Amino acid sequence: MKKQVLALALAGVMAAGLAGCGGSSTSSTAASGSTKEASSTAGGSGKSLRLVNGKIEVDAQLKELAAKYKEETGVDVQIESMGGGVDIQGTLKGYYQADNMPDIFVNGGATDFANWEGKLADMSDQAWVKDTDAAYTDADGKVIGFPYTTEAIGLAYNADVLEKAGVDPKSITGPDSMKKAFETIDAKKDELGLTAVIGYCAEATNLYWSTGNHLFGVYEDGGLKRDDSTYYDMLSKDGSIDKDRFGKFADMVALFNQYSDPAILVSGTYDQQILNFASGKYAFVTQGSWIGATMTSDDKEAYDAAGDFKVGMVPYAFEEGQDTILTNSPSWWAVFQNDNTEEAKKFLQWCSEDKGQDILVNKAGFVSPFKSCTYVASDPFAQTITDYTKAEKTSSWHWLGNKEGLAQNALGVVFQDFAAGNIPDAETFASTIEQVSKQYYAS
Amino acid sequence: MVGKKKRNNGIILTLVGILIAVYILFPFYLVVMNSFKKQAAIVANPISVANASFAQFKTNIDTVVNNSNFNFWYAFGTSALITILSLVLLAVLGAMAAWVISRNNKKKWATAIYMVFIASMIIPFQVVMLPLISTFRDVGKFVGISMLQSVPGAIFAYCGFGGAMTVFILTGFIKGVPYDLEEAAAIDGCSPEGTFFKIIFPLLTPVVTTVTILNGMWIWNDYLLPSLMLGQNGKVKTLPVAVQAFVGSYVKQWDLILTAALLAILPMIIVFLIGQKQIMHGMVEGAVKG
Amino acid sequence: MKANTVASKALSIAVMAASLILLFAALALDFTGSGFKGRGALLVVGMIGFFVGLYLFPTPKNHRKIVYIIFLFPLLFTFAVTVIIPLVLGIGYSFTDWTGVAITKNVGLANYSTMFHDPAFLYSILITFIFVVLNMVLINLVGFLLALLCTSAIKATGFFRAAYFLPNLIGGIVLGYIWQFVFNNVLTKMTNTSASILSQSKPALIAIVVVYLWQYGGYIMLIYITGLTQIPGDVLEAAAIDGANARQTLFQIKIPMIASTITICTFLTLTSAFKQFDVNMSLTNGAGSVPNFMGSYLSNGTQMLALNIYNTAIAKNSYAVGQAKAVLFFIILAVVSLIQVRVSNSKEVEL
Repeated sequence: MKKQVLALALAGVMAAGLAGCGGSSTSSTAASGSTKEASSTAGGSGKSLRLVNGKIEVDAQLKELAAKYKEETGVDVQIESMGGGVDIQGTLKGYYQADNMPDIFVNGGATDFANWEGKLADMSDQAWVKDTDAAYTDADGKVIGFPYTTEAIGLAYNADVLEKAGVDPKSITGPDSMKKAFETIDAKKDELGLTAVIGYCAEATNLYWSTGNHLFGVYEDGGLKRDDSTYYDMLSKDGSIDKDRFGKFADMVALFNQYSDPAILVSGTYDQQILNFASGKYAFVTQGSWIGATMTSDDKEAYDAAGDFKVGMVPYAFEEGQDTILTNSPSWWAVFQNDNTEEAKKFLQWCSEDKGQDILVNKAGFVSPFKSCTYVASDPFAQTITDYTKAEKTSSWHWLGNKEGLAQNALGVVFQDFAAGNIPDAETFASTIEQVSKQYYAS
Repeated sequence: MVGKKKRNNGIILTLVGILIAVYILFPFYLVVMNSFKKQAAIVANPISVANASFAQFKTNIDTVVNNSNFNFWYAFGTSALITILSLVLLAVLGAMAAWVISRNNKKKWATAIYMVFIASMIIPFQVVMLPLISTFRDVGKFVGISMLQSVPGAIFAYCGFGGAMTVFILTGFIKGVPYDLEEAAAIDGCSPEGTFFKIIFPLLTPVVTTVTILNGMWIWNDYLLPSLMLGQNGKVKTLPVAVQAFVGSYVKQWDLILTAALLAILPMIIVFLIGQKQIMHGMVEGAVKG
Repeated sequence: MKANTVASKALSIAVMAASLILLFAALALDFTGSGFKGRGALLVVGMIGFFVGLYLFPTPKNHRKIVYIIFLFPLLFTFAVTVIIPLVLGIGYSFTDWTGVAITKNVGLANYSTMFHDPAFLYSILITFIFVVLNMVLINLVGFLLALLCTSAIKATGFFRAAYFLPNLIGGIVLGYIWQFVFNNVLTKMTNTSASILSQSKPALIAIVVVYLWQYGGYIMLIYITGLTQIPGDVLEAAAIDGANARQTLFQIKIPMIASTITICTFLTLTSAFKQFDVNMSLTNGAGSVPNFMGSYLSNGTQMLALNIYNTAIAKNSYAVGQAKAVLFFIILAVVSLIQVRVSNSKEVEL
């Protein structure tokens, strides 16, 4: 009998343990549910939201935003930043598979939003929608994306260096003048303290997005009116490339290959590229306006040492007369439909208002897409974007709608191959890009 | 004469050995040395000792340990919990099953189970991983037990995947344990389960150690299974998954990445230094028998 | 005594009945779609309770059988749920348009046809085979030489063994990042070149071989050491007395005597190289260019089979095709293993 009692007791303990294990997630949600109630009655709220951010460079600033929100409302917002070589949509799909969806997450454009059809909250009724032109609207007219910044893609330059070299940025209006400017600067490289004329990096494992998305995006939209999507449509159909236009674009890439810092051209990293630009070692760099945030935070020391030089952007004018830079909201925050949807909407509304914008603009350096916002970012590139926008010299960008993974799995490697000299000339580069892109759209 | 030649040979061989050791340990040196530096110093010269400082090491460690994508202590705890519980369960449940199989080895059902276990050892994880996740998700939702994103779920999966090899090695050993022992115990009035736990299980210590080392090395370092079952950057993450999430979240800050790598490999190296002999012996035994 | 039996019988039946009620209640909750959170716990308690009841059932004749069942069940259950069921489902799914969540129709062999028409996948198979063969030869050769070194008359063999084995302790993900650093930052600095060898497909593949050799060589060495030390001392002595030189001893005595060890190591390296995933993912993530393979330019110059399967399913979201590739992967490994069993058996007969 004693043995039986012992066995029963033992089994009871085991059962309790296992049941505890098996039901741990359920019991823990139950527990958090009860704490939720308790704390909401106490005035605050134990709720927590999770936001997947695609811009690693503003990770710290978004965490500051979250801290401020918690201070105001008691709602804990966890910022999970991904960047660099991470396939964000792929990761998110993994989260979905694993029942681990964040409440708010970043979506780049049509391709990304298509992954979540029917799973995102409709935000059409939110107050902020009336305050911006940049909300992301789906085919049915529902607002499903919250814009948080405006970014620009152009050929960024160090204004001090150009001035010392006697090159007027306004004189760069086409391939010939660009080449001439490069030659002029190259000749005075040593006296200007430059390592190279341009910091162009075509590394494909971690930096495929810089070439395969942004630079390739210049081919798609450079010089076009905001509503012109000729080349994007052509690409979307079956991966086709306009030979003539791309040929000229390829010549520009060849020019970058020739004048880039060889130390970063094939195997460099984003950090090296931006650090060197911030240190005044390059006259140009092939990254967009987001580097302003990196220069004033991570690379602050070097940027200060280099005299906090002025920066600006010239168009990637691979055809004579292209006078626009590309601007757009680079991505949008979408709200996943779940129990936290209302909380998430409240957070986004708060972000669009004064206190949120204060941090997003003044700290994260975002260029506000909201009309009511009065802050002007201290970001080095904010002025440039404003100037081009006012002069109506901006093109939209459509690369966000390119077939998923095109840059990572197909184009990036071709840019790298061209940079490394495996692809001998611009012509072969152009034909290879076309072949790879068609193949990718076909598979 | 001969003696001298032999000694010379010995010296040359020792030198060769040292050279190879230097080559093999060089990456470890790089990891340790560069954890003491700033990013800029690493980029400037990744090999030299210059610009390495304890203060920087402390800063790097602080940054990495407190990083929300890495969350070292939490990931370490999760990894330790999953590994230890899986190992205990595999050892006990595996020994139980192996004992039943080897004591019934003349019966068809036992042979069949044994053969299925052996045959399953060739199944690569890739062929079951996708349906495994969807099954776990669907069944979990259906019965209300969350198998994904949970530590018990991962332990359950490790018991399933490690079961075959564990049973295989243990059965081979138990077959060699004389049956007389059990018969004597039975005559003394000992129940079969009592016999197993009091007499057989203690005899299995050496082989259980072997199995535990093999499974431990695998589970602790495994990436694919936890990355799929727990999510690549989920609430619950093991150390390898945390390293991956951490590296992925940085564009390439080597000072932090190498510090994270150091933190990730340190526990294993400490364990190795303590149980060096057993680990090396266990790994060989497992290979020879498996 | 009798009363005791009756009491325990009653207790046993009561426990079993209560557990079954719990079990069925939990299942009923599941089927009615109730969101009751405790239903999972009910199910687990019910299941364990049933076995406890069974265990308590006083039947001296069949007690041993009951114990057998209870002992076998837990491992078989986890094994079936994690290996057998997914395997069967997976093979089935590979003939459908499975998206990872839903299936709408049967597509026959379409997934298999898709993958065999995909140059990138065929290329992955090709480089995987090359990688496997290279690895098998190199790791065994290096492992064996290291083993000879560590069993020869040098000092501090214990230190050498431990040092050579050390890399094997590190998981592939961490190791891949460490070596990415070595190749991209250290080696380029040392050789004063700008482009890392990881940026070109062929050198990058060699780099993966080097890293794998670094990780695995020490382990294989340990197995060879065990094999070598098991050669009876008197055999070696006899050879020495007969005037055999070192070379003769090696080729005519040592190598033949460790034939079975060689077989073990060969297949160990073979299967593990086939499954290589972690290092591949963290070192190059499969990137690399191939100018012309079957008429196409490929961007996955260093992507091996396991990584290709993973990327097809997870990154490209083609679960069905990924699963079909995985089934092929399984078949290849099964064939390799069957050959291994054949070879080992014939070896044993010889001895």
